[in-house]
Amino acid sequence: MTISTLSDWTGEVGTVTIGATKADGGTRSGTVTIGGERDLAFIGNPPTGNRPLIAYELCDDPSLWPAPVIRFLGDRASDPAEWARFAAGEYRPDLIRLYLTSTRKRGFSAFAAITTTVENILQATGLPLIIEGSNDPELDSEVFRRIGEAGEGERLLIGTAEAGRYRSIAASAMAFGHLVIAQSPIDINLAKQLNILLREIGLPHDRIVIDPYTGALGYGFEYSYSVMERIRTAALKGDDDLAMPMISSAIDSLTVKEVREADPSASDRTSVAWELYAMLPATVAGASIVCVRHPSTIQPLKAAIEALWSPPGGGA
Amino acid sequence: MEQLSGTFSYEETAYHLPVTYALTGTAVHSADEARAAFRATGESALVAAECLTAATEAAGKGAPPPYTGFLPDAVLRTLGYSLVDGSILGLAVVAGTPQSPDAAAALCRELQEKYMLTFLSGGIVDSLTGAGVKVGPELRLVPLGDRPSSAIHFIDIIARVAMMFGGVAPGDADRLLSYAQERAKAIAIVFPGLGDDETAMFDAFRLLGIPILSAGEYEGNEWIRVSVSEAVRTGMDLKGIKVSVTAIPIPMACSPAFEGKSIRKEEMFVEFGGGRSPAFELLRCRPVSEVEDGRIRVIGPEIGELKAGSAVPLGIIVEVAGKAMKKEYEPVLERRIHNFVNYGEGTWHVAQRDIIWVRISKDAVSHGVRIEHLGKLIAAKFRMDFPDLLDAVQVTLITDEQEVLAAKKEAERVYEERDERIRGMKDTDVDTYYSCTLCQTFAPNHVCIITPERPALCGAITWLDGKIAYEISPSGANQPVPKGRVIDAERGEFEGVNRFVKKASHGEVARCSLYSVMEYPMTCCGCFECIAVMLPEVNGFMVVNREYKGDTPSGMSFSTLAGTIGGGAQTPGFAGISKTFILSNRFLQAEGGIGRLVWMPAMLKEELGERLVRKLTERGLPGMFDKIADEKIAVTIEDLTAFLARIEHPALAMKPLL
Repeated sequence: MTISTLSDWTGEVGTVTIGATKADGGTRSGTVTIGGERDLAFIGNPPTGNRPLIAYELCDDPSLWPAPVIRFLGDRASDPAEWARFAAGEYRPDLIRLYLTSTRKRGFSAFAAITTTVENILQATGLPLIIEGSNDPELDSEVFRRIGEAGEGERLLIGTAEAGRYRSIAASAMAFGHLVIAQSPIDINLAKQLNILLREIGLPHDRIVIDPYTGALGYGFEYSYSVMERIRTAALKGDDDLAMPMISSAIDSLTVKEVREADPSASDRTSVAWELYAMLPATVAGASIVCVRHPSTIQPLKAAIEALWSPPGGGA
Repeated sequence: MEQLSGTFSYEETAYHLPVTYALTGTAVHSADEARAAFRATGESALVAAECLTAATEAAGKGAPPPYTGFLPDAVLRTLGYSLVDGSILGLAVVAGTPQSPDAAAALCRELQEKYMLTFLSGGIVDSLTGAGVKVGPELRLVPLGDRPSSAIHFIDIIARVAMMFGGVAPGDADRLLSYAQERAKAIAIVFPGLGDDETAMFDAFRLLGIPILSAGEYEGNEWIRVSVSEAVRTGMDLKGIKVSVTAIPIPMACSPAFEGKSIRKEEMFVEFGGGRSPAFELLRCRPVSEVEDGRIRVIGPEIGELKAGSAVPLGIIVEVAGKAMKKEYEPVLERRIHNFVNYGEGTWHVAQRDIIWVRISKDAVSHGVRIEHLGKLIAAKFRMDFPDLLDAVQVTLITDEQEVLAAKKEAERVYEERDERIRGMKDTDVDTYYSCTLCQTFAPNHVCIITPERPALCGAITWLDGKIAYEISPSGANQPVPKGRVIDAERGEFEGVNRFVKKASHGEVARCSLYSVMEYPMTCCGCFECIAVMLPEVNGFMVVNREYKGDTPSGMSFSTLAGTIGGGAQTPGFAGISKTFILSNRFLQAEGGIGRLVWMPAMLKEELGERLVRKLTERGLPGMFDKIADEKIAVTIEDLTAFLARIEHPALAMKPLL
């Protein structure tokens, strides 16, 4: 059964390009472009827009990171640059997403280290970067200024803006030419509101990626799936304030009880399963970037997206 | 300009001579180009000052450190960051040589305390250093140069911020000026000691909307004369730069997260209004001199003197002042009291005007919440939510019964005056209606269209309120709806309204009749004051209000009906309406008008009372008031049919509805 809906839509999702090569004033070896959808995927018509991409997530303070990943990586996790080099070289994600988890420890004040870490990651990999800063309003101003400066010209995707605290992130994007992740707590109206706030402060819509917030599988994922669909249908029906590509990361996947308490011999397999089966449906719901933390999830997820997005029986 | 020679440029910038570049779009690097730009701008004093300053600094003749001279782009980017980020609120330039170094020092400290980034030009720098004030960019006091003319860098900063952050194209002088006037929060404070050229240069600052506050002997131009001590406040007021309120100092959490909670009788310490005691709320706009920001007064007993579990009179009077505030905004702002009180973890509020009902919980009182804190909460939230509109908010809370009753009289006069303003207006008098999508939080596809003769179905927002809400917040939930070509005048269907509704309902609703319940009626959220329901058996309509809990001739109670029609769906035969819409000539227009009304609860009939009698007479139906049945006459369709036949209700003789 096919349902043709393409002709009913009046809107389309905008495109966003992340990263800048030497020609654009950056140092990335390539750029990626997301968005451009003109229909929902998999309801009869071939998928429209750009194919979903995989971002590999890492951090600068592994004590705040899921244990299965740290066990798998060993010493590599102690140096974010080495971690990025290893993951990018061996597992081939499309982007690297760095969480500056160091800023989330009580009493953080090592601002200079942020600059160094961002610079080191830029050196370590040529992939386009997503950088997640602090989530404390007291620190935001300094942290996001440092991220912005360190990555000037690289067209980073910076996160995460929320309704109560978006000014520093927007300022960093506007001052140093970056893009912004705008997150709302599984609520289409708050997603729209935040995008309007960002526009009013002067950040154009083509520099925003929506994060609708993703719950782990069995821990609220269905709500996220549903809100992604609603955001996407609103965009296709012509709501410009929601017509941005989406990023999805079920960040709790590796800390749920089932993964935490898995038999050590099954730890890696369980981790991959929990990430894979959350992120693949997220692409179907409309996410343009899906994020994982266990390196072994990258290849099967890539293969699954490839299989879904390629027409049956081969061809283009 | 004639003496300029050779080539010169600023370093570390992509914007050449920024002021000249922004105004003319040409990159000036030589004396001849400078003279050409000077002529092209009609001999602009700003261009002249910039070219001369650039030539001097390029020749190495600028003032030595700590003076900064021209600031490179990298510094500007960080500065722009702080402006967007909100860590600095605005920009100030202080120029000339103050007569009293101590007064100047105090002025600069005030600028620092108020998060202004301040640039210094001329003798002021020495005065400050002499008075023991440290200067430097890290202290938000930037010494530009030893001559007042170095203040031209202040303008090259604004020009570059406009080009970097505001998307102003070089050469688009109009955009530059409007950007500077609307967005740049900049003021200039001048002390004595300016030469003629420098005076002309500062005078040209005014084109960019920068107020020039003169603490010197300047006369005969448009500068604002101030004493040194009031310069900062006057300047910040003029540009609407406000230090924002961030925390509310009350012993109770306060957030929209608590908005939906209720305080049940057992949890309540004291209540006000709700039919149990007289209570009202009123917001008035006052001259700035009459409002002391943050002042809270309680007239009558405080919480400690009240008996637990009692009902106490309450008057909430909010007085606001602000340059942009208008009297017409009063009712719209007044409605916000409802949200704000509900934001409090232990305070609860329903309804509006003189039918409010407020409760404070036992829990809150045990944590030290007093009546006074209601006022603090309201005042702080108004300042936080309307920073551009309001400069000062004071709140008076009255709990003394006699005082409440006296003040309530005045409030009722104000309510009446407000109602009068909208009463005479007709839908045909305007070509723009207003939408309300406030309820899309829970009814995502619902769109209210508000016209002069049809208020929002919640009864809280009239056409005027919608218009004002749009003025206050242009991207808010009330948007203008051009009504466009008439499709059907009887049903009130308009092309523009349909277009708007289709888009705002995310494609769910394509057509909307404003004056019909039968064909393409307006959708309902869940807030309607009343529901109009078609009763096919009697060829008429009943209306039931939210407060009525009993059965109705439709066989359904209000809550059952509400569950059937709410949530943003279009349900022919049913409509959510406000109470006052019953009195509108547009009520049931497509179905033959108010003559179709066959049943209402007695309480609603009584509430509309005289006004309904008058409206019926005006519509040529004298005596019909008694023909409208209520629950004392009939609660079943059989009894209603018999009654209507007996009194010969006009609806029976009208064209069949089905």
